[in-house]
Order: sequence, then C-alpha cells, then structure tokens
Amino acid sequence: MRFVLRRLGFFLVTLWAAITANFVIPRLMPGNPALAMMSRYRGHINPQALHALEIAFGVKTHQSLLSAYFTYLGNVFRGHLGISLTFFPDPVLHDVLQALPWTLALIGSTTILAFVLGTLIGLVGAWRRGGILDSVLPPIFVITSAFPYFWLAMLSIWLFSLKLGWLPQSGGYDIIDTPAWSWHFIHDAVVHSILPALTILVTSIGGWILTMRNNAISVLTEDYVRMARAKGLSPWRVMWTYAGRNAILPNLTGFAMSLGFVVSGAILVEFVFNYPGVGWMFLQSVENQDYALMQGLFLIIVLAVLTAILAADAATALLDPRTRDVR
Amino acid sequence: MSASSIGATDQLATPPIGPKPLVAEVGGGRLGDIWRAISRNRKAVAGLLLLLVFVVVSIFPGQIAPDDPTAQTYPPALGPSWHHLLGTTSLRQDIFSQLIFGTRLSLVIALAVGAIATVLAVLIGVSAAYLGGIADGILSLVTDVILVLPIFPLIIVITAYRKNSGLFMLIIVLGVLGWSYGARQLRSQALSLRTREFLESARVRGERRLYVILFEILPTMTSLIVATFLGSALYAVLAAAGLQFIGLGDPNSQSWGTMLYWAQSNEALFAGMPWWALAPGICLALLGAAFALLNYAFDEISSPALRVRKLERSRIPGRLPSPADTTPAVAPDRSVLKVEGLSVAYATDAGPVVAVDNVDLDVGRGEFLAIVGESGCGKSTLLYAIARLLGAPLPGEIIGGRVLFQGQDLVLLEERELRRVRWRDLSVVMQSAMNALNPVLTVAEQMRDACRAHSKMSKAEIEERSREVLRLVSIDPVHLHSYPHQLSGGMRQRAMIAMALLFTPDLVIMDEPTSALDVVAQRSLMVQIKELQERLGFAVIFVTHDMSLVSHFSDRLLVMYAGQVAELSSTRELFDRPRHPYSQGLLEAFPSIRGPKVRLLGIPGSPPDLAHPPAGCRFAPRCAHVQPRCTEGEVPLSTVNGSVVRCVLAEEGH
Amino acid sequence: MRPRGGGALSEALLRTEGLTRHFRVGKLTSRQTLHAVDDVDLTIGRGEIVALVGESGSGKSTIARLLALVHRPTRGEIWFEDRPLSRLRGRRSRLAYSAAVPMVFQDPYSSINPAYRVSHGIVRGMKLHRGDLSRTGRGAELNRVLDAVGLVPAGETRRRFPYELSGGQRQRVGFAQALALRPKLIVADEPVSMLDVSIRVGVLNLMGELREQEGVSFLYITHDVASARYLADRILVMYAGHLVEEGPTEDVLQRPKHPYTQLLVSAVPDPRAELGLADARDVGEPPKVVDPKPGCRFRQRCPLAVAECETVTPQLRELGDGRRVACHVAS
Repeated sequence: MRFVLRRLGFFLVTLWAAITANFVIPRLMPGNPALAMMSRYRGHINPQALHALEIAFGVKTHQSLLSAYFTYLGNVFRGHLGISLTFFPDPVLHDVLQALPWTLALIGSTTILAFVLGTLIGLVGAWRRGGILDSVLPPIFVITSAFPYFWLAMLSIWLFSLKLGWLPQSGGYDIIDTPAWSWHFIHDAVVHSILPALTILVTSIGGWILTMRNNAISVLTEDYVRMARAKGLSPWRVMWTYAGRNAILPNLTGFAMSLGFVVSGAILVEFVFNYPGVGWMFLQSVENQDYALMQGLFLIIVLAVLTAILAADAATALLDPRTRDVR
Repeated sequence: MSASSIGATDQLATPPIGPKPLVAEVGGGRLGDIWRAISRNRKAVAGLLLLLVFVVVSIFPGQIAPDDPTAQTYPPALGPSWHHLLGTTSLRQDIFSQLIFGTRLSLVIALAVGAIATVLAVLIGVSAAYLGGIADGILSLVTDVILVLPIFPLIIVITAYRKNSGLFMLIIVLGVLGWSYGARQLRSQALSLRTREFLESARVRGERRLYVILFEILPTMTSLIVATFLGSALYAVLAAAGLQFIGLGDPNSQSWGTMLYWAQSNEALFAGMPWWALAPGICLALLGAAFALLNYAFDEISSPALRVRKLERSRIPGRLPSPADTTPAVAPDRSVLKVEGLSVAYATDAGPVVAVDNVDLDVGRGEFLAIVGESGCGKSTLLYAIARLLGAPLPGEIIGGRVLFQGQDLVLLEERELRRVRWRDLSVVMQSAMNALNPVLTVAEQMRDACRAHSKMSKAEIEERSREVLRLVSIDPVHLHSYPHQLSGGMRQRAMIAMALLFTPDLVIMDEPTSALDVVAQRSLMVQIKELQERLGFAVIFVTHDMSLVSHFSDRLLVMYAGQVAELSSTRELFDRPRHPYSQGLLEAFPSIRGPKVRLLGIPGSPPDLAHPPAGCRFAPRCAHVQPRCTEGEVPLSTVNGSVVRCVLAEEGH
Repeated sequence: MRPRGGGALSEALLRTEGLTRHFRVGKLTSRQTLHAVDDVDLTIGRGEIVALVGESGSGKSTIARLLALVHRPTRGEIWFEDRPLSRLRGRRSRLAYSAAVPMVFQDPYSSINPAYRVSHGIVRGMKLHRGDLSRTGRGAELNRVLDAVGLVPAGETRRRFPYELSGGQRQRVGFAQALALRPKLIVADEPVSMLDVSIRVGVLNLMGELREQEGVSFLYITHDVASARYLADRILVMYAGHLVEEGPTEDVLQRPKHPYTQLLVSAVPDPRAELGLADARDVGEPPKVVDPKPGCRFRQRCPLAVAECETVTPQLRELGDGRRVACHVAS
C-alpha cells in the first residue's frame, strides 16, 4: 500500500508543478504577450471572469503574487479555467471536455494497443532469439522510431488518401454528419481514425518492442527461468509467468516514463489530420493566441498522462508482490 | 569497448559462479576499445556514416547545393528535373538547395541540445546518486516530475508566448527540459556503482568528492553518457522539427522543419509538389535514424547479452565424437546416470571455445558424487549440459557425447520429451535461491506449477504435498504462501531443496547450493541434504569449489581442471592418496583447522585460457612434476586402483 | 608460518574503546536503529596480525569501515598511536591517518576501477600522501610495490588494465595500493573470500611476508576460521555486533570458550577430521540486531543459556593468558 500512496503523492506533486508552471510562465515572459489577448476580451465578458483571467496571466492585478497564486489555484480546482477566445464565449472547461473524448478514443486506445502489441512482440522476439521476428523487427523499428510523427502522418495521407483513395484524409468524421450515437456516425468516426491511429501505432510501437525485448533477454538469463525449464513446465508457462511477468515490470515503468513523449507526437498527428481532439485544439489555441484555452488544454493533457501513469503503477503493484510489502 | 570482448572471455574464465565481470556490467572501458567495438557493429557503422554525410553537407552547403535556397526566381511547382533535382516550390524556390542548406540548423540543434541535456543529466543524475539522502530525494523527484510532464506541450506553451524567439531560445528550452531521461538512467547506474569497491577505495584513500565524481565515476560511465547524448540529440531533432512544423520556429530560417511548415501551409502534397514535403521528412528521419542506430548499437556493445553469437562448429577441433551415435542407449542397471564423452562448446567473438572436453562419468543409485574445481573449469557447464539446461547465461552447446538416463540419451531428446523426465526423475537445486525462485510467485504457486506439469494431483493434494516437503527440510509450513523475498536466506535455500523433492526424483543435481550461506548454516544444510538422501534414496551430483565441504558427504569425487576430468575416485581415497598433482595442490591449499600448522604453498599461476589451451596436459604449466612428455601430446585417463587419473605419473603408480 | 607470541605485545598500535556504530533503517514512520557494532574494545599491536571472524552481518565489515574513516562511530573512540581519532582536525591529519591505515577490499572484480590501468590507484595514493616524491620517484616506488606483492615484471604489470589480470593478481594490486602509502596497519576485509582455493594461500602468504619484511600490522577480517588460524597471532570472534571472544588464535580455536565460537569451529569442514554430526544440527540464524533489548544475543541458539542471559548483556571477562570471553556461563 505504501507504494501506491507514494505514487499518489507523486501524482499530486507533478500536477501541482504543472499548474504552477502555468501560473509562472506568462509572468516570466518579457512584454507580457497576454496583455494583447486581454484587450480582446474587455467589454465582452463579465468583470468577474475578466478578473479570473487577469489573475491567471498576471495582468493589471494589484494583488500580491502569493495571493494571486492562491486565487489561481482555487480557480483551477473549481474548474474555472477562463473563457475561450477561439470559441467565444465558451468556458474553457466546456471546450476541453468536448475535445477530450476524441483524444481518449484515438490516442488512448492506440497507445494502449501499441504498448500491448509491442510488449508481446518484444517478448516473443526475445523468446525466439535469433529468429525471424527477432532479427528483422528491431532494426526496422529502431529506424521508424526516429521518424517524425507528423511527417509520417503527412506521408500516409498522401499515400492512402490521395494516391490510393482508401481512407479519408482529415477530420474526425464527415462534415455532413453530426455527432450522435448512431451506427452510421460511429462507423464514420472509426474510418476517420484509422490513418491517424496507424501513424501513432507505427511510430510508437518500436520503442515498446525494443525495451521489452531487452528486458526479456536479460530476464531470460535469470536463474528462475532456467529453474522453470528444469521443472519441466510448458514453454508457454515459462514464457508468460516466469519470463514475461518479470520482464514487463520495468516496461511498465518505461511506459509511465515515456508516455509524455508519445502524447507529444500524437498532438502533431491530430494537427496534421485536423482531428478534433485535444492536440488539434491545443495548436489552434496557440495559433489564435488564445492563452486561456491553451493553458486549460495543457492541464488536461498533464492530467491524462498522469492518470495513465497511475494506472501503470497500479498494474505494477498488482504484478509485483515486492511493491506491496511494507518493509 | 572492453565490454564486448572481455565480457565473453571473462564469462568463460569465470562462468556462472563467482563475480560477474564488472566491465560488462558497468560498460566502462577505454576509447580504443570502444572504437574497435563500434567498427565491428554494423548498426554503428551505418549510423556513423549517415551522421558523417550530414556533417559534411552542413559544413559545405554552398559547394553542394546548386542554387541559392532563398532565391525565388524559378518557375513555381516544377516536378523533379536535372535543373531542379527535387523540383521547385510554389514559392519559386529550389527544393534540393533548401534541403542542403537546411541540414546545418537541424544538426546544430541536435548537437547543441544533446550537449546541454547531457551535461545537465550527468550533473544532476550523478550528484543525486552520489550525495544520496535528502539531496537525492529532491533531485530524483524533480527529475521524475520533469520526465512525466508532457514536455512538448510545455515547450509549445513557452514558445507560444514568445513566437519567433530565435534559435538560441529554442536550444536552451529544449536542452533545459530534455535532460531528465538521461539523468534518471545515469542516476541508477551511478547508484549501482556506489557499491563498487573502487569508489570506496578512492574515498578511503582520502580523495575529495569532486575527484571521485569526475575521475572515478564518470570514466566508467562513458557508454551511458554517450547514449544519453545520442538519445537527447534524437529527441532534439524531432522536437525542434515539430515546433518549426507548427510554425513556432523562425519561419524564415533554413531548416527541414521550416520547409515542412511551408509545405504544409501551401498544401504541397495536394498541389503536386510531393517532394517539398517528403524530402525534408526523409532527411529528418535519416538524421534521427543515425542517432537511433548509434544509440542502439551502443546498447548492444555495452551489454554483450543482447548480441547473438553463432557457434561455428567447423572451427572446433575434429577429434570429438559426434552426438548421433547409433549404439543403443542402455545404461548399466546399477547406475542411474551415465555420461560418455560429453563435450560442450561456447561461441565467443574469438571463435568457439570447448569448455567441457570429453567427460565420462557415472552415478550409481543413491550415490553422492561431488564435482570440484575452480571457477572456469567447466563444472557448472557440465552440470547444466547433463540436465540439458544450457542456454543464456550459459549459452554453450553440446557438441558431442551421450547422457544416458533411464535408458534414453538425454542429448537426443526433444524438449517435449525431456519435459517428461524433468523434475519427476531429475531435479535441480541452484546456487542462489534468491535468483532461482521467481520473485513474483509464492513458494506455493511455484510448487503447484511443478506438480501440475507432471501429475494430476488435486489442489488439496498439491497443498498437502508441498507442506510435507517443507517439513522435510525443517521449514514451518506457514511459510508456504510466502513470497521468496519474505524468507531468510537459509530458508529460501531449504525451500528450493524442498521443491526439488516434490516427486522424490532418482537424481538431484545441485550447483553449489550452500555457497551463499555462512559456515554454520552451510554445515547444517549439508547434514540435512545427506540425511534426506539416505532416507529417500535419491542420487546426487553436487558441484562445489570447496572440496573440504563435501569431504564427509560424497561417496566419490570428480576433480575437474580446464574442462577435463583430472581425477575421479572415492572421496576417502582422493583425500588420503591424491594422484593428480592438481588434486594434491588443491588439498594442500586448504589451511587446516585442527591439524599441524604448516606453511602452505597453493598452486602457482592460474588456470589456462580455454580459447588457447596448452598442448598436452593442461595443468603442465603449473605443475611441479612436469616432464617433457607432459607437453608432447594429449594425456589419456588411466585407471589406478579404481581411481581414474589424467597424469603421466599415475601410470607408474606415483 | 611463525606466529608471534600473543601475550608479549610491547605496545598497541591501534585500540578502540566502546566502539559503537548504529544505522538508522526503515522509513520515516517506522524508524528503527540497527546496531551493527556495539561496545567493541579491541587492540592491535605493532607488527601483529589480528583476525576478526564472524558470520555475514556480524558487524566485522562495519568495524573495518570505522577504522578506515568511512563511517563515524556512534559512540566510542579509536586511538591510533595513542592519539584519539575524534580529535583529528583538518584534511592534512586525516590524510596522514588514511596513509597509515589503508584498506584492502573483498571483491577483486570491483575494487579496481576498470577504466584505468592498474597503476592508477597506486600512483593516486602516492600523489595524495607522499607529495615529497618526484615523478621518477613515484615510478621507482610503483615498481617496488608491484615487485613486493609479486606482480612481476612490474614494468609490464603497471601497464595492464584490470580485466587483463586474474582475481588473485587483482587482489595483489589492492595490497600494492596499500603498500605504496607506507602503511602501519592494513585493514584487509575478506581479501581472499572471492578467490579460488588454489590462489588463496598465495595471498595469505603475501600478508605474512609483508608483515615480516615491512613490519606492517594487519586486521584480517574473514569468515574463514581456518585461514585465520593459518595467518593470525590473535583472533577476535564477533556475533551480532558484539565481540564475544578473543585470545591467541591457537588457544581460542583449540579450546573455544564461548558457545558460539564452539559452534563456529565445529562447523568448519575439515577433511582430516571425523564428522561430528551432533554439533551440526543448529538451524538457527543470527538475529537482526534492530532495537535490541539487553541480554546475550546468542541466547536463543545457546545450549548453555541461563536466566541471566535473558536480561544482562555479558561483558568481556579476562580469563588469563590474554583470553577474554563475553559469556555468563563459560569459564
């Protein structure tokens, strides 16, 4: 339990760091670029909301830095993230929550899929050392993992959409559709998500394969794996319960550690595909200098990544009895 | 680096027991060795060549590019031609020239960010590990926080406030936020170094902290530091290109990312200028691949376990019998195991090495046979070859001989057929139960696995049997559902022996099962093994480096030297009348606890390198009784009064 | 091997008084104190070899590190040439002590930095502690110490990297490093336990020779009682952080007084003796000394335990002939 509590503490510290970064960064920038943005709000929103924005960006407040900071923290925890300029006069939280399901569905499921597939391939590759899987895939994935995500996205649009015409080139659904829980709409959304999903899969799976393969190779040299063979267990059992279960533990940590990197790439993929998720909206807000929306989206990205890490930690605690012991 | 070549030879010199070679683990070494290892690794060579090409291009863009990249004087949107190798943009520029001139910026960003991030990672990672305590706690927390924060969005947030803020700012931001992964790895390696005695030695000598960090720790971490640099350079290439692509770089700068930005905003792909978008991406991917390949190659070089070596049988001297012997496999009825001409070879970078050379032995029913020898003599390899358990970390292959057990030759059996013999009739006890028990399963689960694999016992029966065997080795059955880490060292060792007795096999193979224990615990475990053996009637092959340990327990003793049988005789006989000079030397190397105090001499020299064994008797270079004929040819085994000895003197009844 | 008479020591080179070292273990909420070493008084004479034996975790390596200034004592004092170490002020006097009392480590595979040639540690030691030596003087001294530990030809050995040497040779490098400092006492922490049997005796003999030729004292820390008998003039036996018995090696090992020493001696395999099965039935393990209560720490395993052992920690008592034992019952 101590392990889980410690990780929960880490979750909170990191979240706090992200919120604080949000508060500090606008204040550190010379010439306060938020000032220009604020003038665009004036007269359009009520004074209370304006004040919240002023606190968030350190514009014209007469409060001390510290009390501004606490007011800001309070606003964030109550979900008061300000008003979006891009989608005026929507509250930022509303826009964020609208984009989130798209991203969770696309990036969330693709990342999990990439992790699971990559881990499996890595384990099998290590198990059949020197086999086809093991000698062909690692070098290929070393190279694909160096591909810029967004470029691969452009490439796949050009190839599959433009040249071959198999799949739609952008968006999350057809413009003529309206989002609804209809079979037609879901089918449409799935078709639209295939290309971005494949792009993310191809670029991120290599990392999981390589780390799992290396972990598994070192675990396979452990005495307990030899012992399992000596016991005459089926190869299946040896591979999963003895080699796999031990090799996946560092990979789960690796998952937590490189998730931020994967998400960064996925943001650009959304951008290239005009996919209506958090990443696309994030870059829209950057372009429109809509700092309130931008910072709100940044927070939600952090929150999503941290939640995934917490899930990985929970899995670790479940799989590794040593983390459960209070010692 | 030393790691690759040394790892291999050291592994042979000291295979499974004893300390692992430090060099391979730490990956330290000299520049010359690193260079040699790189030049042998295909991935490293490919990565270096790629990088070299980009470096040359970035230094001489004016000489290579045909046109001025900024000139907007060509017809728009041309396809590839001799004049414009990759065509022109809709902004009337030459794509190829832009590409050439764009190299420099991408490379500068990669190298500069790599350097900044590496320096920060080294500073923070190593000081965290070395300072320890609260400093470590704080530094690691900061590292982890920065690591899991989605850095790229954060960078976007920062640069969004300062659009077009220039190259310098970009490099600083990327460098300052990109060190955390490297720092984490460097910290954990430095932590594992902290227990290395050479650091303690430096401190005891009176060195200052800064000296220890700079001159003792850092040089041994060379390969990880290089890997950190390569990793952060790769990250910088991708992140910078991403930022430029979404328009957060300087749109007038010459770089691949900026080209992609213009290509995207002018819809190059849809407007028939695919090379405008494809070419810079290919270049980015190639530059990234150069760093990734080098990084991967370094990983391989610093941990030799990641490489596969193939055993070249053709390079093994041809005097070994072939395994496909057609004589029927019938073991004499009194023996439970008969090994004939067993030979095992390892693949090393320097070619195959025969680690077990033509060993014959047999074990009678209920007999206790001890195999003794020094590290690297091949005793563990022999043991695991008999059990057909070779494979990493003992990646040897049986190249000849037979292992007759229960009327069949184990060498010829498929893994599936072997499984029927394993554990039921032949079980194994290893040196360290801490490593041999699966850390994520309870003792009960591990026993259940074995029972399920070989019997149709019910859950209750398995539980009952598990309790029974634990009681056999004096462990309270309440510990059955404990995880290995919850047991004490002595208990783990006993639990492993209990597990080996689940089916009361005919033969139990033991690889130094007591050497991780203290004298007192060692003694009581030996007594217990002997008692169980007499009660249950199984035969034992017991490998040890300490012949005095088995002096009262084994029926016969096999002394191995440099992969060969040196002497095999009854234990009493061997202690009273050792016939091989090596056995004599070993016996005389033990100080006695009770006997008269005499000055001991030990055996001068050290065991031979099995990659180049001496001609004739392998002990000759260390032997006090060496004669000219010892080195003339292979010395055969001869039988003297029931003892088997490989020595020219033995034939004369020496 | 010619042992020197245990009782006829002219003067103490180093002695400790009530030497104690505790470590804090556990997390913030469950802070505990591990008593690694408790109240140890020991003496090492000039030119004497003293063996310190005990099982792993008995505190013998902690004593080595206390003497080498790696750890500070929690309580107690170390006197070196009649000067207390707690009064050591400044880097210069600490360095002087470090040169006089160097240490040789257990693991030959980790005690030499793999990134440097073997001469590195030796030369660094001379640079730190013997500033009077010129560059050529250091070269000559390097050859001398390599010669003295039997790494010949020295001119060739000094250029080797650690991985080119065998375990025994590496351990000799460790002694050469110590020797280059002109030591008075070498603390050798299990110097042979990781070496092959055929090589061990060579290193033990080397220690004996260094004592004869250079007059160095040794604190030889080991779990191998037979090698202690081979090498040492006096023996100290530790159990769970306490010194339980000491005296001339031969006396202690032939007629052990403390029940633990008896158990330890009986467990040593001796091919030349009959097996005493009765002695070997002990399946107990040494206790983890965390927040201990008073009383003898061996009492749970002790065949002689009486009521007093539960409540009173036995102190070392003089038995005459230089022998001392910490037991209420033994005599």
